Amino acid sequence: MELANTLSQDGESRGGVLAHLERLETQVSRSRKKMEEPQSAQAEESALGTRIHELRRLRDKLRAEVKQHQASVKASTTNVEPDQTLEITEQESLKRKWENVKAILQAYRFTGISGKLTSRGVCVCISTAFEGNLLDSYFVDLVMRKPLQIHHHSIPVFIPLEEISAKYLQTNIQHFLFTLCEYLNAYSGRKYQADRLQSDFEAFLAGPLQRNSLCNLLSFTYKAEPEGQSFPFCARLLYKDLTTTLPTDVTVTYQGKRKYCTFCSHD
Amino acid sequence: MRREPAGDVVRAKQMDETVSEFFRRTILKIPLTEMMTILKTWNFLSENQLQTVNFRQRKESLVQDLVLLCEENRASLNDAALLDIIYTQFHRHQKVWDVFQMSKGPGEDTDLFDMEQFKSSFKKILKRALKNVTVSFRDAEENAVWIRIAWGTQYRKPNQYKPAYVVYYSQTPYAFTSSSQLKSNLPLLGQALTIASKHHQIVKMDLRSRYLDSLKAIVFKQYNQIFETHNSTTPLQERSLGLDINMDSRIIHENKTEKERVQRVTQEIFGDYPQPRLEFAQYKLETKFKSDLNGGILAEREEPLRCLVKFSSPHLLEALKSLAPAGIADAPLSPLLTCIPNKGMNYFKIRDK
Repeated sequence: MELANTLSQDGESRGGVLAHLERLETQVSRSRKKMEEPQSAQAEESALGTRIHELRRLRDKLRAEVKQHQASVKASTTNVEPDQTLEITEQESLKRKWENVKAILQAYRFTGISGKLTSRGVCVCISTAFEGNLLDSYFVDLVMRKPLQIHHHSIPVFIPLEEISAKYLQTNIQHFLFTLCEYLNAYSGRKYQADRLQSDFEAFLAGPLQRNSLCNLLSFTYKAEPEGQSFPFCARLLYKDLTTTLPTDVTVTYQGKRKYCTFCSHD
Repeated sequence: MRREPAGDVVRAKQMDETVSEFFRRTILKIPLTEMMTILKTWNFLSENQLQTVNFRQRKESLVQDLVLLCEENRASLNDAALLDIIYTQFHRHQKVWDVFQMSKGPGEDTDLFDMEQFKSSFKKILKRALKNVTVSFRDAEENAVWIRIAWGTQYRKPNQYKPAYVVYYSQTPYAFTSSSQLKSNLPLLGQALTIASKHHQIVKMDLRSRYLDSLKAIVFKQYNQIFETHNSTTPLQERSLGLDINMDSRIIHENKTEKERVQRVTQEIFGDYPQPRLEFAQYKLETKFKSDLNGGILAEREEPLRCLVKFSSPHLLEALKSLAPAGIADAPLSPLLTCIPNKGMNYFKIRDK
């Protein structure tokens, strides 16, 4: 550019050849640029073109992948349902089995003696019944220790629990439970019969039914016919054997005089 | 206009003044809110008769009307005694109850307890010993009897205003008696009970409370009635520790393990069931002084110290149960405190062994 400056300072005399050369030079550089521009443009163009191609290719590739994925998902959902139902049925069957076992454990009480393990031992349940009627249940909570102990229980106080445990608890647990079972079933049975007599035969009873805690002595006055002029009889039932539900002695009197003799039914 | 046979009117007016007064004072005791219920339980005055009475008038006048009705019905001393029993049954907490334990000889025959036999035997024994005594019975529940005894002496009629009560459950060795002020008659009462119920011996237990039902639960061992079964719908889970689960997570319980231990120990000793209700526990100590410090005046004392420690509470056992969880006492509590329901005692004498 100094050349241009010197030329302009010098005036027109030098402008001739140098200026001409300069002009030529700039012309050449311009034309070179112009020549290059389309080239670079071309290069750019071709670069862009290749880029476009690449991007198109990528796009197609991704589109294909998406389609494939969708197709595979569709395929997998149709495949997954049978798998899941398999799992569900397994779960259900396990649950059913568990409930079945639980129900069996619960149903054990119908055998008369059942139990459940506790943190300190076992809780035994004695379910009483009489003539097909399920009656009260009684519990004995045992502590597994030497000596075996009763932690707490729901046996009525008039059942001789202390006697029975003194005899059998330490030596023969089975016998202990069976004896207790005997006493409780007999008591339940007698109580049930006394309750039914009071409720179902109210019309026949001429007065209240006298009974005691063990229901082993019943005393009542009854008429053979609920209405009418039949005479009242006094009945007295004694159950000397606490393990049975049938009386051992029965006395029926009429106006103080024995109408029927007592009979004893010992084994 | 009702026609009354003349004889009845005369007889009605002949009701003993003392009986009439006894009726008046017994009915006067009954609170107005309970009047109808108690009279209906008594079942002596009929529905029609009760309807003729104005229950909204002043109590004094109401009582007068009722006494007149009783006179019309020719009520006897026994009827009045029965009303007194019913009042006491409704207000059993007003009396303090003792417990007696009876025992039989070994190898006795099956107990064929006859309630009528028991009643007549009991009455006979008392009447043979004391000419002047009023004995009345009222059956309760399935197998129990309430006995009311008004004591007199050889020369004095029975005092109806200081009766003793006995509650007895057939074929059990326990009898509950209201502490009678006339202590001299206690041996006779014991004897009558023992013989009539076909036992050999009777012993007073060291157990006393106002709450008859709690005493019954203790001696019949009915206070712990929770049992684990497969049938229970709610499993016996470990109790949440009273530490609120929703509590702020920024709060840390430093002594959580100790709290858990205390809760566990308390639950083992006292269980999950409601405790029977007692008002006090009394410890009579006759022990020598024990001290960690050497010397001191009391340490040299040879004779045992005598003192009385009494714990009182509206609900003693629940209070004891809450001591350790509240941080007031160490867990486990002294066995002297925790043995109360098991041993059936709330009076203790402690001596050096």
